[in-house]
Amino acid sequence: MSIQLVVFALDEEEYGIDVSAVNGILRAKKFKIQGLPGTGNAVEGMINLRGKVNYIFNLRSKFNLIEKEISEESKFIMLNVNGSTTGCIVDEVTDIVKLNDDEVQSAPGFINSCTTNCITGIGKIDDRMIIILDPEKIFMEEAIEVNCNA
Amino acid sequence: MAQNNNVKYSGNQVNLNTVKLTDVIDLGFLQKFQDDFAKGVGLASVTVDPTGKPITDPSSYIRFCDEYTHSTECGDKRCAESHRKGGEEAARTGKPVVYECHAGLIDFAAPIMLEGRLIGTILGGQVLTASPDEEKYRRIAKEIGVDPDEYVKAANEARILSRESIEAAANVLFLVANNMSKTAYQQLKLKAMVDVLSDNLHQVSATMEELAASATDISGNQANLNDEIKNVNAVTGKIDEVMDFIKDIADETRLLGLNAAIEAARAGDAGLGFGVVAQEIRKLSADSKETVGKIKDLTTIIKISVDKTVHMGSETTCTIEQQAAAIEEVTASVEEITSLTEQLNDLANDM
Repeated sequence: MSIQLVVFALDEEEYGIDVSAVNGILRAKKFKIQGLPGTGNAVEGMINLRGKVNYIFNLRSKFNLIEKEISEESKFIMLNVNGSTTGCIVDEVTDIVKLNDDEVQSAPGFINSCTTNCITGIGKIDDRMIIILDPEKIFMEEAIEVNCNA
Repeated sequence: MAQNNNVKYSGNQVNLNTVKLTDVIDLGFLQKFQDDFAKGVGLASVTVDPTGKPITDPSSYIRFCDEYTHSTECGDKRCAESHRKGGEEAARTGKPVVYECHAGLIDFAAPIMLEGRLIGTILGGQVLTASPDEEKYRRIAKEIGVDPDEYVKAANEARILSRESIEAAANVLFLVANNMSKTAYQQLKLKAMVDVLSDNLHQVSATMEELAASATDISGNQANLNDEIKNVNAVTGKIDEVMDFIKDIADETRLLGLNAAIEAARAGDAGLGFGVVAQEIRKLSADSKETVGKIKDLTTIIKISVDKTVHMGSETTCTIEQQAAAIEEVTASVEEITSLTEQLNDLANDM
């Protein structure tokens, strides 16, 4: 078995998401993000994509990274989760790679035990280490928060 | 003043090496001076050029010479020979010479010298230092073919002066004539120099005008050059705009490639071929982007070059302005010198 990952960058780190969950990639600069009052920091806002409202999440907030302005290279990775399409802001989509099972190391127990953690494993290509994320879990916490506030 | 006009007329064509007595002493003045001197001191005199040809009319010639000695061809020749000898002796020594003429009278010759060159001689005398020896004059009368009785009678009319008086008189003529010549000669020299100075100043003036004109030309050219260079800068800016556009297309293409790759991956085995195409598209977009980067590097170099050129251009403009100012200063100085030269010229003419 093998998996295909869409690889993206946040700061110097590389992350990967299973390609089957990815709906598409958009250039962040092409869209205007409208804020949503009363939502957590991780919810950046919403965009109008071809007549449909899509929510955009800020992974930097979620991963406690230093906030950064959306740049020329920034992208939205649109994910199909929970029956809707939701986006994440990333610095840049760098690659699409195919990894065999032996190139993927599962996340250790101390990470896995936490239900809200979205890391499923680490992909290795030569010296590169790609943090593989579970698309379902990325938005889990926020979904709860949104629900609570509602 | 006549000599001034003469000098002015001949301008710097007067060759200082061939200056004649008439160039440096006004003939009318010389004649009057010679006449008055002859009358006052009682010595006949005449001025001759270096060849012995008289320049002035004889002053106060006595009958002995005028009516008898010069009356025959033989006497006239002997007189001329006597004068030549006296003149030669004077020229050789550069001092007045007092001597006895062929007819037994006492004569003098005062040379007029300019920088060691003889330009004329004042001859004079026709006097005696003692009462005439009758026998001697009868003999001479026979030799030159005149009436001995009348000749002796005329000889007795000759004035008797001491040798010292004759020498002193000769010396006075010598000093006056030489000083006058020298002064006039210096004046000629001064005039010639002023003329050369004036000519050169005119040339300097003309050259300065040319320089000022070319400075203006250079200034204009530099301004045009600066404008052209600014155009290059504007074009470079436009190239950058185009490059931004191309980069945008490359980015868009890359995205297209990524999305196509995602679609292909999701299609599973059916999408494999499409996946390869998608990858090629991404590669192409990466190449385009790299090329844009290279072109931008080049336009940046052009911009730096242009900036440097503009900077040097304004330095050049600054230098040209300084030069123009310097030229103006020199022109002002030249004008001042020209005015001084005119004053000098006036002064030389007034001397």
